[in-house]
Amino acid sequence: MLYFCPSDRAESALQFHSFDAGYIESLCAGDSQAQEHFVGYFTELLQLKLRSRLQSPQAVEDVCQETFARVFAVLRRDGGLRQPERLGAFVNQVCNHVLFEHYRSTSGGESLDAKGRLEPAAKGADALEIVAAGQIQDKVREILLGLDPHDRLLLKAVFLDERDRDEVCREYGVDRDYLRVLLHRAKREFKAEYVKRLGNPTPLGINPERF
Amino acid sequence: MPVAATIKGWTIVGIEKMDHSEAIQEMIAERYLLDELTPETREAFEEHLFDCPECALDLRAGAVFVETAKAQLPGLTRALPSSALISSPKPGIRQKWWLSWLQPAFAVPVFATLLLVVGYQNLVTYPGLRSAANQPRLLPWVPLHGATRGSGQMAITADRQHGVALPIDLPPQPSLGAYDSYYFDLYNPQGKLDWSGVVAAANQRDGSDQRLSLVIPGETLRNGSYSLVVSGAAAHGERTVIDRYAFDLHLTD
Repeated sequence: MLYFCPSDRAESALQFHSFDAGYIESLCAGDSQAQEHFVGYFTELLQLKLRSRLQSPQAVEDVCQETFARVFAVLRRDGGLRQPERLGAFVNQVCNHVLFEHYRSTSGGESLDAKGRLEPAAKGADALEIVAAGQIQDKVREILLGLDPHDRLLLKAVFLDERDRDEVCREYGVDRDYLRVLLHRAKREFKAEYVKRLGNPTPLGINPERF
Repeated sequence: MPVAATIKGWTIVGIEKMDHSEAIQEMIAERYLLDELTPETREAFEEHLFDCPECALDLRAGAVFVETAKAQLPGLTRALPSSALISSPKPGIRQKWWLSWLQPAFAVPVFATLLLVVGYQNLVTYPGLRSAANQPRLLPWVPLHGATRGSGQMAITADRQHGVALPIDLPPQPSLGAYDSYYFDLYNPQGKLDWSGVVAAANQRDGSDQRLSLVIPGETLRNGSYSLVVSGAAAHGERTVIDRYAFDLHLTD
C-alpha cells in the first residue's frame, strides 16, 4: 500500500495537530482524514531529514513509505502508544531503523535507488497550488533583490554551486556567523509570507506554556 | 546526556535532548540548512523537530526559501560584476600596475615594514587585548526607558575604551507565550542599522519584566543619536515592535 501526501499539502501539511490519544485512536481505526494529515505532516519532515542522507528521490520515497507502513503496523498491532504526545519521536525512531536497514541493504548491492528505476510520476498541480507557488517565488525574488549583491553571490556560492563553506567565507571576507545571520534574516522575512499562505499554523491543542 | 524512553517496546535512546530555546538561540535551523551540524547535534535536532511544530515550520520555511532561491539565483546574479565584489585579480593595465609593486625595489622595504608591524601586534597589541578581554571590566551603567513608557530621549556619556552597557527591561508579554523571541535593531546616528540581535523570550509566569544588558564596545561608538528598536516575534515569525529606545551618545575621548 502506498501512502500519498494530500494534494493540497501546501495548505494542510504543516498544520500541526495535537498528538493525543484521540488522534492515535483515529489513526488506529483507519480514519482517512487523520491518516491523510499524518502522512502529509510527516512526509515533509521525513523528506527534510532524508534528503541529506540519501542520493535519489526514489530512495527517499521508499524510506518514507516503509516508515509509514511500519508505524501504522505497530499502531494497529498494539492499539496505540503509551505516550501519544511522543508520536513524532516514535516516527523519527522508526525512520532511523528503516534508514539503517536501507544502508545495510545498499552496501550489499541491493540498492533501493538503483539506476534506471522509474521516478514516480509527478502529480498535476491545481490552480490554487500554481498561484501559491507563484506567490512564494515572488516573495523569494523580492527578498533576494533586497539583499546586497555581495550577499546574493554568497548565497549562490553556498547553495547553488555547493562550494566549500570555509573557502566561500574566505573569498567573500565573511565568517560563518555572517552566513547564518544572512540566512536567518532571509528566512524570517520569508516565513511571514509562508505562514500567511499556510493559514494559521498554530497547533490544535498545543499547550502554549511549552513555548 | 543520553536519554532513553520507551514507547510500546520501541526504545528511543542515545540522543541528547535539545530544547526549543536552545534550538533558537544556537540558530540550529540555519546550521541544519547550511549542513554545519555534527551528526550528534543533527540527530538531536531532528528528534526535537519531530516533536516541535514551531521548529518544524521554521525549518520547512527555510528549506522552501533555499530551494526557491536556488532556482532564482542564477538569473539574479548573472549581471553582477563578481570581480568587483570578491577579491579576484583585475584584468588589463591595472593588473600590470599592481604587479610593478612586486619589484624588489618596492617589495623588500614594504615587507620589512609589514614584518615589524606584525611582530609588534603579536608581541604587544594582541597580548594586551587578550588580557583585557579575559578580565572583569567596569562599564558605565545607564538604564534605558522606552518611548512607550513615557520617557524622552536620554543623554549618555561614554568613552571609546570602555564602551557602554545599557540595561533593558522588556515589558511583560501581553499574553503568556505571545512572543517566542525578541529582536533588537540598533540604528546609528546616520540612521543605518548598526547591529541586530535576537534572544529567546523567557517564560515570565509572574508577569515581571525580562531584563537584559546590551553592551556596546567603545570602538564602534560615535557621537550622535542612536535608537534601539525592540520587536517581539511570535512563533510563526510575525514581528511586532514593542518598544523604541532613543539616546544621545556623547563620547569623552
